[in-house]
Amino acid sequence: MVIDGAWRGLGPGPRALSGPGGAPLTRTVKLIVLPLIVRPALRPDLAADFLGAREAEQLDALIRESGAVLEATAQWFTLLKKTRRALGIVAGNPQDLYFQRCFELATEHGAPGPGADAVARAVLEDVVDASGGRTVEALKEHLADAARRARLDAELAAAWDGREALPDAADTGLAAEVLEACGTAGADAPAFAAMVRAGHGSLLGQALWAAAHPDDVWGRADIPPHLGLTAHRVPPRPEVGRSASTATLPAPFDRTLFERLFTVLQASTHRAQLPPVPELVRQEVGRSCAPLGLHDESLRVAIVLGGRLAVGLDPLGSGASVAGSTAAHRIVNSRWRREASVLRARRMTVSPHPDPDGGVLNALAQDLRTPWAAYMRRLWVRLHGRDVRDAALPDTASAWGVLDGVARSVMMDHRARVRTALRTLSVTAAPSEPAAPVATVAEMRSA
Amino acid sequence: MPEQRWAVTRAEDGTVRIAGPSAGPAFTRAVLDVAGAVLTWPVLGPTGLPAAEIHDVGQAQQWLWAVYGEGTAAAVDALASGAPATEVTLPERPTALAEAAARLALGHWAARWWPASHLDGIPPLEPALLSLELAALTHECQQLLEESGEVEGIELLEEHMAALDPLIRWQESADPPRQLDRVLRLIDDAADNSGLDGEAVRRLRSALEQDHHRPTAAPLDLAELFVRQREFALAAGSPGTETGRVIVRGSGTNDWRRYPPGFVDAAEDAVSWTAYALGAGRRIEVEVVADIAAPAGGVHLAAEVHVDGRPPSRVPLARRDDVWSGRADLDIPASTTPGIEVGVLLPGFDPGPGADERAAREAVRALARHRLSDAAAQPAPFLAEIAAAAAGEEEF
Repeated sequence: MVIDGAWRGLGPGPRALSGPGGAPLTRTVKLIVLPLIVRPALRPDLAADFLGAREAEQLDALIRESGAVLEATAQWFTLLKKTRRALGIVAGNPQDLYFQRCFELATEHGAPGPGADAVARAVLEDVVDASGGRTVEALKEHLADAARRARLDAELAAAWDGREALPDAADTGLAAEVLEACGTAGADAPAFAAMVRAGHGSLLGQALWAAAHPDDVWGRADIPPHLGLTAHRVPPRPEVGRSASTATLPAPFDRTLFERLFTVLQASTHRAQLPPVPELVRQEVGRSCAPLGLHDESLRVAIVLGGRLAVGLDPLGSGASVAGSTAAHRIVNSRWRREASVLRARRMTVSPHPDPDGGVLNALAQDLRTPWAAYMRRLWVRLHGRDVRDAALPDTASAWGVLDGVARSVMMDHRARVRTALRTLSVTAAPSEPAAPVATVAEMRSA
Repeated sequence: MPEQRWAVTRAEDGTVRIAGPSAGPAFTRAVLDVAGAVLTWPVLGPTGLPAAEIHDVGQAQQWLWAVYGEGTAAAVDALASGAPATEVTLPERPTALAEAAARLALGHWAARWWPASHLDGIPPLEPALLSLELAALTHECQQLLEESGEVEGIELLEEHMAALDPLIRWQESADPPRQLDRVLRLIDDAADNSGLDGEAVRRLRSALEQDHHRPTAAPLDLAELFVRQREFALAAGSPGTETGRVIVRGSGTNDWRRYPPGFVDAAEDAVSWTAYALGAGRRIEVEVVADIAAPAGGVHLAAEVHVDGRPPSRVPLARRDDVWSGRADLDIPASTTPGIEVGVLLPGFDPGPGADERAAREAVRALARHRLSDAAAQPAPFLAEIAAAAAGEEEF
């Protein structure tokens, strides 16, 4: 509110950064005002949700002082958008891509002056190039070499043989303690650090390698120890692979090197933080033969936490699996309840009971009855992405951030799939409905 | 508006609730998924502020003050840090953001529950037209939304880009609706902000850049502008194909919640059934009047048939012209007149039978008629409603 007031006080100068009502855009606040002007790390007093009068005044003054640089930022943003259109660039959200760069330009040059067009062009090209050749295309090329593939295959075989399987090693006992501490601000669980120290993630991974692992790791007889992370009883040795298709990716532990890196390279957000492709491939050989397919122990422990959370998920509100419910379960399940009421009000339901005539909607409802499978798949992909760019989880709060984020993604996935299914049902009418665009998308994804 | 005081409470799981007017069945609720909360307006109640269920108080602070006022924002903050439940005074006049949010929620509601019916004479809303206005409203409400909500607006825009040209033509006509210029500017701004580009967007931009309004001479035929196939030969009540002796007939329940929008005519009497005697056998035939936009091939609805309170049986319904129909043998004694109840549903979608909501459905129809007939409806009519009212005068 203080930000809003101060912003309006700046007048029409930074309009390109404002929303339709004159308030700053959400991204203006998130990407410019907070991190670059307010900088709560330097001014912890200003970090609270609700400010006292003195802090409010201070914040107000900060923003007003920045009026000139914000106005210049807005002008740079307008110029960058114009240049972008001229260059025919369409990928990505311009606010996400350019806001911070515009602020830097404004700080360095002030408002765009003579020669600004060339600067804008250079910035755009720079942003486009930020992938630095870390692309699916580059991966494909790298793995096209038969000799290289043979060498990688031999390395995989050696690494796989070097594993040590430990039956009965899995210990998920402390997970509930960590999950109980999740979601409350500032609370930390020493149990998380203890699990990382004791290597509880590695132990689970090693137990899953053993041919004779116990059937009941998660306290529910109907859930396999590997939580659907492999389609097999024991995960098979990863292959090198040369192609992938988003639509038909196998379970995480059954993926080839190519498929594992494909998902990483497709998510463009952190590309600049990745090692170059040859290094990426080299590291993935070791990673794919490591417990749970991950190097970092904190990330492996997150699998244990996620598993414990996943087996208590109750998206249909049946109340059946509340056994051992923790604070984390209550948060996630109450979100599902909210989602269910929104979906009812948006007329996007799926039948709560199995219906053999239900077709694709019945399949979606079935997924809600085994929510742990989708949850673990998504969680693994996210943790793997972190592992690749060396982003460990330092504490309970960051682990909860990932666990909670995955829970939200699974929910949004469900909503998107119901929407797509209903849309498809509604247009089955037209026999002339062209099949071509669908095929094109599939091809693009399998590239 | 008299001063309103609403209760603010905190549940055990930390959720903070701002109690609004109570809401009825699902099809009478306009909901909006916003940053950190879900907002609910009763569609049938007076317009005003929504009830809120806030699960992330920190996130919700980005908009709470702008919708409910500073006092409520402070009360929610206090409650989240342990203060006891309280009551808050709401602003006397809704803020611009609150009004835009109410309108966006109602638009989403209309896209899903508008009771389009040939039998009742309630014309459908053109989906592309409504979607574009929703995209504009989504952008207007960006302060409220999370990224997923914003993306929803951009997707609506992308999907219905083709309807931009008719909208521009409408704007250039002799008598464009009041809000159209704003809708177009919001769409332009939303496209610009999200980096959406294309022929239609460029044409919109150049139309807007010609700034002052230059009405073209010719008046516009709205029905032609948004062309839809409306050939619809109503055959409801036509004799069935059965040749047996009719024992009994009746109408079933048309519970909107049990199938998606666009499948069945929303009229209360859209579902009808007839029981026949064929020799010693008994057979039921069910007919359901289809929505004008209903899919023809591939999809089957189902009738749920209860006979004499026994467990229900399903009769698959296929679409033939303007009706969904199907028949099945009934296992009932020949001597009695059976007590039959029939409902219609989409398998896999159906959340299950609900309470008798006939009165609420009638109230929704009354609301739709009122909005179409009264240009002063609150919130103001959507572009799609204006177009539907114009089309309705011609065809319904």
